[in-house]
Amino acid sequence: MNILVVLRMIPDSAGELQLAEDGRGIDREWLDFQLNDFDDHALEEAILLKEGSGATVTAVAIGEGANRVLQMAAARGADEVIALQTEDDAMISSRTIAATIAATARAKSADLVLCGVQSTEDVFGQLAPYVGALLDWPHVSGTNRVLPDGAGLRVTQERGAGVAVTYEMALPAVLGVQTASKAPRYVSGSKLREASKTPIGRATLEPSGFERSAEIRELRLPTQGGSGEDLGNDAENVADRLVAILAANGLARK
Amino acid sequence: MTGWRARHYVSALANAPKVARFDQPLRRLEGVATAIGLHRKMLRKPLAGVLHAIIFISFFVLFTATIEAFGSRLFPGFSLALVGGETWIAGLQDFFAVLMLIGVGLALYQRYVLRPARFKGSSGSDAAIIYVLIVLIVGSLLFEAAARILGGADGSWRPVASWLAGLLGRIGVPAQETQEICYWLHVGAILAFLVYIPGSKHRHMFLAAPNIYFRNLEPRGAAPAVPRDRENPGVDKLAEFDWKQQLDLLSCTECGRCQAVCPAYAAGLPLSPKMLITDMRDALAAGPSALPLVGGVISEATLWACTTCRACMEECPVEIEHLPKIIDMRRHLVDEGRVSPGLQDALSNLTRLGNSMGKPSKMRARWTRELGFPVKDARSEPVDVLWFVGDYASYDPRVQEITRKVAELLNAAGVDFGILFDAERNSGNDVRRAGEEGLFETLAQSNIDAIGECTFNRIMTTDPHSLNALKNDYRHFGAAFEVLHYTALLAELIQAGKLDLAPVDGGKVTYHDPCYLGRYNGGFDAPRDLIRAAGYTLHDMPRCRENSFCCGAGGGRIWQSDDGVAERPSENRIREALSLGDIDYFVVACPKDKVMYTAAIDALGVADKLKVLDIAELLVPRPTRDTAPEAAGVDII
Ligand code: SF4
Ligand code: SF4
Repeated sequence: MNILVVLRMIPDSAGELQLAEDGRGIDREWLDFQLNDFDDHALEEAILLKEGSGATVTAVAIGEGANRVLQMAAARGADEVIALQTEDDAMISSRTIAATIAATARAKSADLVLCGVQSTEDVFGQLAPYVGALLDWPHVSGTNRVLPDGAGLRVTQERGAGVAVTYEMALPAVLGVQTASKAPRYVSGSKLREASKTPIGRATLEPSGFERSAEIRELRLPTQGGSGEDLGNDAENVADRLVAILAANGLARK
Repeated sequence: MTGWRARHYVSALANAPKVARFDQPLRRLEGVATAIGLHRKMLRKPLAGVLHAIIFISFFVLFTATIEAFGSRLFPGFSLALVGGETWIAGLQDFFAVLMLIGVGLALYQRYVLRPARFKGSSGSDAAIIYVLIVLIVGSLLFEAAARILGGADGSWRPVASWLAGLLGRIGVPAQETQEICYWLHVGAILAFLVYIPGSKHRHMFLAAPNIYFRNLEPRGAAPAVPRDRENPGVDKLAEFDWKQQLDLLSCTECGRCQAVCPAYAAGLPLSPKMLITDMRDALAAGPSALPLVGGVISEATLWACTTCRACMEECPVEIEHLPKIIDMRRHLVDEGRVSPGLQDALSNLTRLGNSMGKPSKMRARWTRELGFPVKDARSEPVDVLWFVGDYASYDPRVQEITRKVAELLNAAGVDFGILFDAERNSGNDVRRAGEEGLFETLAQSNIDAIGECTFNRIMTTDPHSLNALKNDYRHFGAAFEVLHYTALLAELIQAGKLDLAPVDGGKVTYHDPCYLGRYNGGFDAPRDLIRAAGYTLHDMPRCRENSFCCGAGGGRIWQSDDGVAERPSENRIREALSLGDIDYFVVACPKDKVMYTAAIDALGVADKLKVLDIAELLVPRPTRDTAPEAAGVDII
């Protein structure tokens, strides 16, 4: 099995988001970037498959800080790591990423593509279906367990209300991973240091071939409406204020 | 036979990895002399110390009797009579035989009547056997002398034996036979004792002195580095420990002093530093087995329970080093990725962002915004004092207030200081002690590089943990900085008349010595001087200074869950403070402590009785024309 894993770098949501000057994107210059959590699970699932059935794992990372994350992927067991060269300071649409991933999958003769089910820059989870469509491979998103099964896979998908569905899937396939079968492992600093010598391959973005169908007109940060009140972070004052507010609204008596 | 029984240990030590412990012989000997000659640590527990000293001295005096017993039969004509064997030596033997019995009596009283909890888990049979053997040896010695006196020997130097001879005479036992029986009883008991020692905790009679001699003379705050020739960062087999670490295992006396002071043990966690040592010792004695060391002989939960407070090592009378072993075994777990979810989160955040909270570096210096004056960027202009702020002091909203207070005090004293802003990383102190050596190296190197870019005279830290890393651990990379804690700098400023305080008529307070300021780096007095200078009366808790009781947060514990904790160490500590009576404030000098102890006070529901204050919050500068508090908000620099 040849597995291709997609690792997307996304803005750290703990940072302060500010709008770019044109008001159509966020100002990425001062942001810290981190690996999309779901992609981290996709990587773990790939490594678990490798450990379970001897696959080779190629990791492709996109965005600022890709090299650091690729070293981590190598330390965890990825056989080959590739950084996609991108323009810094710009968000790349899932459609463009998908075109590049599909091309890479063909070039590497991959028979399984794994990516996170969504990311903060792909909240609708479009990447996996796009890749599936471009390659004309079957696709399942929202997986929480993937096991090797003969020549194919047994894939469990999470549905609502605790319902889970298990598929038998033939390869090649594309999966959007929700959670890996086991939580992502910790890689020690010494292993990271060792992996920092791993050669990192480079690749460039493929044009998606699609016409742009829509454009962002305006982006807005959440505004503080009149309905919220910041009570600060001093526990005692907060407690007093809360009690007072509840009492004032007739929800509690002092 | 004694040698045969010790053969496993000898070969284990001979094949163990090397470690340099042969330097500075004089300093080493001096340590042995105070530890053994003066029983320095032993006497911290007065009863145990005194009874041990009695048995110890009596043993040496009575050794002359052993020489006589063996010499007289092996070499006919041998006698100590020439040097006083029948006069003053006989007198001493007579006297110390009784003293020895008193010592054993006290030991029996301690072990079976007082029954201190520290003996829990120690070998009861080892203790019982030694009492029986000593009583046999000393009893037979006395009765042999008595029988000799009965047979007509001079008893004027042996009053006790003479008195016994009187008794024997009254019962009418035959002198010659009794003497002979007692002699063989005596010799037999001694031989049994000798054979028995190597397999028992009484090995310490031979190993205590060498173990103390070969103790670690490095600064207390420097965690041992990973030896260069070791293949993996951690240790997973006893044989991978160097010979001194293995000698430690053999030297344990099972006294349990370490267990009695251990905060993890007190909290009900599955860690007793004593049993950590004895479990490994028993595994060493048993030889190779299928059970792995880490996760087998020593469980993972045991290893993660340690706060690295160092109380056990401070207390151990034979200088056993618990922490290097714990850290080495943690290194193995980390290398294998076997860490708890909480620890994994913290370490991943530290890897990614350089702080355990997962906050962006750019927010590190945010606390300065609410100051009434700008703080210098030490990376772009020279400063006198480079302030290494630390994670909690930078990011935790509850601690930021204290951080600003410290900044205001420095400002009031006219100190030229600056910080590293977003170039600062976690110091790595607790990362290293959690066993994450690789990440520690990355963090340390990053800080050393950032500090190297700055021009300054001294470094000040808020956090004792950072203090320890910068001062001790960073030497590993050849970085020698002059580092001091803010309490030391503030005390110095007051001394020099640069910081003028307006002392209040403060009430009674108590002070908690942070492990990494006190026990590790000897910073006991500056905080106390500051408390007094601020106008408060200090009332120390019973466990203070070297004996301070850890808050429970160190060594990476703060990043782990409280699962299995019966009583949090911080709550134990607050109860100790409450037991002092009318104390107004529980004063701390470590950012983590403000968080830990405020939580403990809330959990105990005693917020109306006690309040946690950082030392910086006690200090009020005397208002002057240009630094009056009203002037806050105006640029002063
Ligand atoms: S360092 Fe502290 S917590 Fe760890 S074993 Fe020793 S006494 Fe216990
Ligand atoms: S390690 Fe030291 S303090 Fe602990 S039981 Fe052994 S000898 Fe006593």
